[in-house]
Amino acid sequence: MENKELEMIVHLQDLDLMIDEAHDVEKLGFAISGCEELKAARQELAAKISKPLLYRYERLRGKLKRAVVPVKNDICLGCFLRQPTAVGAQGREGNEIFVCENCGRMLYWID
Amino acid sequence: MSSVNLTNYFHSSLFIPEMKATTKDEALEELLNLFVREKLVKNKRLVLAMLKQREKLGSTGIGKGVAIPHGRTTAAGDVMIAFGKSSKGIPFDAIDQQPVHLLFMVIAHPQEKSNEYLPLLGSLVTTLKDDSKREQLMHVANFEDLLAVFQGE
Repeated sequence: MENKELEMIVHLQDLDLMIDEAHDVEKLGFAISGCEELKAARQELAAKISKPLLYRYERLRGKLKRAVVPVKNDICLGCFLRQPTAVGAQGREGNEIFVCENCGRMLYWID
Repeated sequence: MSSVNLTNYFHSSLFIPEMKATTKDEALEELLNLFVREKLVKNKRLVLAMLKQREKLGSTGIGKGVAIPHGRTTAAGDVMIAFGKSSKGIPFDAIDQQPVHLLFMVIAHPQEKSNEYLPLLGSLVTTLKDDSKREQLMHVANFEDLLAVFQGE
């Protein structure tokens, strides 16, 4: 069972990436018409996330562009540093949010 | 845009020669299920929500029977393309209002470093504007046929 807040943060970042890249994707030939609707969905989701976690997310995003990153084979895909095995075991359980000791991004185990 | 070797992003396990889906939602799920089965994405519900929200931003049905549903997600660790063909056609709210026959689902990780996602999308769009390529794709029966269409791009 995944941590609900982590899941919401992951979804929030997916929406932010989509909003950020809407213009680039439009230039490639895709029709983009629902930006405002997407921003409203983003706001609605952000309102459900606890303030401290949301602030942390926004701060990391401002500083590092990607606030949450996937972890695969215990490697943080933000800075490519291997995470300690013990952290990996707990991280996969998904009960709490871990942060990469090197880059400070929130970690999301995908394997 | 021709610098991207698209064949590197396809895989035989991400290939459906004849899709079962008859609606847009079913098509998104049928293609996404390939990524889930191969453990290329972690959380199906999250990724499906992302893909559906992407469709609200504007349909990825780019016309002439082609749809390229796509998105970056934190629940993926790689950049991959799944391909599915529908001889009957699937209603997809495409820009020309025509059903889609050729579907390419592009799922990408969120990283900035070695950004391959946008060039890949661009390359795919450019290739699929070619009438003869689309015609060839309508006749692919196996994965090797699919690769042959994109080889030399």
